[in-house]
Amino acid sequence: MSANTSGLVGQSVKRVEDDRLLVGNGRYVADVNPPGVLHAVFLRSPLAHATITSIDATAARRAPGVVAIFTGSDMEAITHPFPPFAMQPDLYTPLYYCLSSTTVRMVGDPVALVLAESRHLAEDALELIEVDYEPLDTVASIAEGLSPTKPQLWEKANGNVLYDHVHTFAPGNESVDAVFAGADRVITERLSCPRQSNQPMETRGSVVEVDPDTGHMTIHNATQSSHMLRWIGAALTGKQSTREAAKGIIANKERRKAFLAGAKSFLKENAEGLKAQDNDGMKSQLKADKSFLKHANLIGVGLLGKDDYPDVVAQDIGGGFGAKGSIAREDVALIAAAGELGRSVKWIEDRVENLMDGGQAREEDLTLSIAVDDDGTFRGLKVDLVIDQGAYPGFPVGAPLASAIMKVMFPGSYNWDAFEMRSRIVATNKGKYVAYRGPWANETWARERMVDIVARALKMSPAEIRLKNLIGDDQMPTAMITGPKIDETMSTKKTLERALELLDIDQFERDRDTALAENHYLGLGIASYHEAAPGPPGYWECVNPGTETLLNEEAQATVETDGSVVVYTSQMPHGQSHETTYGQIVADELGVAIEDVKLVFGDTRRTPFSILGTGGSRGGPIGGGAMKYASRAVREQLVDAASKLLEADVADIEIVNGNVHVAGVPARGVTFAELIAQTAGDGFEATRSYRGKGDGGWSVATHACIVDVDLDTGKVTFPRYLVVEDCGPIINPAIVDGQVRGGVAQGIGAVLYERATYDDDANLQSATYMDYLIPTSMEIPEIEVHHMETLSPGGENDFRGVGEGGMIGAPAAITNAIEDALSPFGARITSQYLPPTKILELAGVISPD
Amino acid sequence: MKAPPFIYHRPETLDDALALLAEHGDEAKVLAGGQSLIPLMALRMGRPAHVVDLGAIDGLAEITEADGAVSLGPLVRHEQANRSDVIAQHAPLVAQTMPHVAHRAIRTQGTVLGSIAHGDPAAEMPAVVIATGATLTATSSSGERTIAAAEFFEGYLDTALRSDEILTDVTFPAWPSTAVSSVVEVARRHGDYALVGVVTTLDITDDIVTDAALAYFGAASTAIRVSAAEQSLIGSSPSREAFDAAATIVAAELAPPADIHGSTAYRKHLAGVLTTRGLTAAVDSIGVPA
Ligand SMILES: Cc1cc2nc3c(=O)[nH]c(=O)nc-3n(C[C@H](O)[C@H](O)[C@H](O)COP(=O)(O)OP(=O)(O)OC[C@H]3O[C@@H](n4cnc5c(N)ncnc54)[C@H](O)[C@@H]3O)c2cc1C
Repeated sequence: MSANTSGLVGQSVKRVEDDRLLVGNGRYVADVNPPGVLHAVFLRSPLAHATITSIDATAARRAPGVVAIFTGSDMEAITHPFPPFAMQPDLYTPLYYCLSSTTVRMVGDPVALVLAESRHLAEDALELIEVDYEPLDTVASIAEGLSPTKPQLWEKANGNVLYDHVHTFAPGNESVDAVFAGADRVITERLSCPRQSNQPMETRGSVVEVDPDTGHMTIHNATQSSHMLRWIGAALTGKQSTREAAKGIIANKERRKAFLAGAKSFLKENAEGLKAQDNDGMKSQLKADKSFLKHANLIGVGLLGKDDYPDVVAQDIGGGFGAKGSIAREDVALIAAAGELGRSVKWIEDRVENLMDGGQAREEDLTLSIAVDDDGTFRGLKVDLVIDQGAYPGFPVGAPLASAIMKVMFPGSYNWDAFEMRSRIVATNKGKYVAYRGPWANETWARERMVDIVARALKMSPAEIRLKNLIGDDQMPTAMITGPKIDETMSTKKTLERALELLDIDQFERDRDTALAENHYLGLGIASYHEAAPGPPGYWECVNPGTETLLNEEAQATVETDGSVVVYTSQMPHGQSHETTYGQIVADELGVAIEDVKLVFGDTRRTPFSILGTGGSRGGPIGGGAMKYASRAVREQLVDAASKLLEADVADIEIVNGNVHVAGVPARGVTFAELIAQTAGDGFEATRSYRGKGDGGWSVATHACIVDVDLDTGKVTFPRYLVVEDCGPIINPAIVDGQVRGGVAQGIGAVLYERATYDDDANLQSATYMDYLIPTSMEIPEIEVHHMETLSPGGENDFRGVGEGGMIGAPAAITNAIEDALSPFGARITSQYLPPTKILELAGVISPD
Repeated sequence: MKAPPFIYHRPETLDDALALLAEHGDEAKVLAGGQSLIPLMALRMGRPAHVVDLGAIDGLAEITEADGAVSLGPLVRHEQANRSDVIAQHAPLVAQTMPHVAHRAIRTQGTVLGSIAHGDPAAEMPAVVIATGATLTATSSSGERTIAAAEFFEGYLDTALRSDEILTDVTFPAWPSTAVSSVVEVARRHGDYALVGVVTTLDITDDIVTDAALAYFGAASTAIRVSAAEQSLIGSSPSREAFDAAATIVAAELAPPADIHGSTAYRKHLAGVLTTRGLTAAVDSIGVPA
């Protein structure tokens, strides 16, 4: 049966979201104003590390318009601490509450919540809360995090190193050390990536709406994962004694059933995967801190004994880049406060808060050693990674998951005989580390940077050394040294070859000479990688056993009695254009116009259960796959009904523009509504789950750019930036281009503009947009995007993700190009952040202050 | 990010505005375009108890010319100056400066006099004021006084204006037909306050520099001229050597403070580089070979 009757998949269909968004009809959390809503603001620590000796809110409570104030100890009485999530062997996850009561660990640490009749009054009252702090010595850098003489952030941890684990992969009969000993040389470099911050246009925000009659809560929130928020929000608030909870369990059977339904079927379907969870992770946690068991018990029993469970509704979201996949401490505090007061509460984060506590990322030290033969053959790779997690672990995913993915992806698309990686996570007094678009991206940056360093040492060109070592089609199917399977969709080598064709090297050399007259130095940089988008089945077992289960994705497709097509996803669009791409897929399957497809998302009352929501470049392949198969099943139902009604063979039924007919006689067709009416049905419905296929699921790219470095000013521009990407068959080329370009823009930001800066005492120096610089359209060059569409063997549903790749490739290509430009000065680039001062220092034009 | 409580005044005459300032003194702030004041208040870093908005007062947005001298009133927006024929013709340096100030959206609100009164060392207009030797008029309820450019900027965000005064006028002296000028700067991003910038004017008669001004912004706690470098140019003919010599003096004399966007060494270097660029750009406009 040919499904693609309207042929929208593959076309640059205009975004159906845009009419709504561009004329200001988007509906964001800030637009939600339940009657009588109270406005929330958080009092935040001005110090990076201190003991709270006293907190007095008496005057603030009496201030005009103030309805309630909660301090850290108030919250400890009514909420549970955030529990560890996806525990790993040798990892300690600190337990912490939504507000801090005795110790503050970062500038911006929330210590009190004020609720007042207006935002202004709440902010006025905030200033009246008196907190006495006793300053503590601070831990401001990775080096200080590793130092045994610095004060410990978490009492129960072993120093400030919360994780220290070595993974070794040596599939041959030689050990890693033997491979290194046998290679012609070993080249080592220490690289470091400063701290960045996910910066969405819309900051975080939540409106907890309380029904005045029933007390039922609806949480309107800018969240990437509404089901997760619903669960964690319910679990961590409404603390009660075990006895009370037990009574509730007996009394509230029906409600509980509804709440648990999604989770139960999820747990059933994923029983196998969950069993694979690593018990050693739990053991490490318990060894450090047994209190987790007590909390887990209380959380579990309390959750099941609840009178009522909140719903979560997320509507339009102005970006997130991973930060909104976190459950915020503020979210929990607001739900708890609304529950206590029985009133709706609203919090819209401001930009200063967002820069302090909205999520930071990528601060990592990476020491790489490559064992290589003189002919350029890679033999072994050793990585020593230290992640600066900041003061609090991002929940649920942060540094531990980033390190787990890096451990799998570090070898990249190259052949190696052996690989070893030590990963450490340190706690420091800085903003929390969260997942940021391609959370593992520094494996690509560090590896591709290092490959250039090795090439230079061997006097080979960066392209030559890559082509020599990249896994080629002739080796497929095969597997990465770290486990995941690889098929032809891991087409890294082909994207590099294509990029080299597109670059005009002779012209570049000529331009390079001309530029010298103006004291401008040109450089060329490339970087190649593949990413799991979503990776082959089994990929997540290599990353973190048991987490494969998170990948499940369900979609529901329906045709209602009036003939309208409504489809439901647990993906949460926040800029990725799901309404358009899913519209294309569904329209093709059902033979209707894209305008006739309505996508429902973000509302836990209506959407299928998924713990993860949007993240990990899964929207296209996994969410799109589920959508395709759900709507295909509905098509079969339609065709089936029509074949009976029209007395024709199923194979002869066609659907064109919503008209169901026997091939060749559209005039005698019926609409969906007529079909339903005439067959006395009550509509069509199908739900399908999907989690990927085959050995592929790789998204691939080579980035190549030419930089122009002005050695008078240290400013860097891009005469050319090109990306050859391969995400398989494309649903919508314009949207893919947009995703790639946006990612590259953030990569340019990372290298040239953006840095979450802290001073030596961990004071934040970049708390406004005067100091945290996001590139604007004026700083971003034209970015050429070239597509390759490698199909995976076995065809069907071959979409692969592109949400993260742009950001993964860019920092490496750019820093490589800059090192190439500065090669006459023997510059070695070891930091990812290269502001003008640093550029001139590297070129020897100025000395460091 | 909401401002603390304040009382908002919107007087309809200058006298009323001045009376309010006389009454509230230190507690009051004048509001012009609000592009600097409002963010400071929202961050609760500026906490005036009274805000006196000039917006409803007629006649404050005038750009006038008399004997070649150009005067601007306190509600002349940057963008209005940017598009003014009078300024283009009689105050070409001001016209050259405007595109460097922020972005258009901010320029349509922000005022030229507000920028001068605010006295941000990284802003362009204070440097233009000291380069041209403009005259500033401060008015209070007890009368008017004029302040010379060289006396106006006293320190970081600090000027000779008293808290009961409004800057009611800036007058740029007649532009000599023999003068050329330029504004060059380097900012982290387009539209940002400059890391360092320089306003250059040269008077050139018979291929000899007879007067020179090099006024730097982003290089000290106020806009600042480097007279040793200016002196080195006077009497010589414009040439790459003369420009480089001036640049060397500038780089040696200035010690701009470091911040997270640039080190002192970087800004020193930049001041030198921009000196050469600025001088070259200035003479480019008259086709003098550099
Ligand atoms: C994103 C951004 C980028 C910017 N970039 C630049 C830039 O590159 N270069 C630049 O020069 N500026 C820049 N600015 C500042 C902008 O130009 C401001 O408009 C200007 O500095 C102040 O003018 P205003 O009319 O907005 O003053 P306001 O904000 O209204 O006032 C500023 C201060 O001056 C006082 N004041 C104003 N007018 C008078 C008066 N007539 N008499 C006495 N006191 C007065 C006020 O009381 C207040 O203290 C930028 C601003 C923003 C928001």
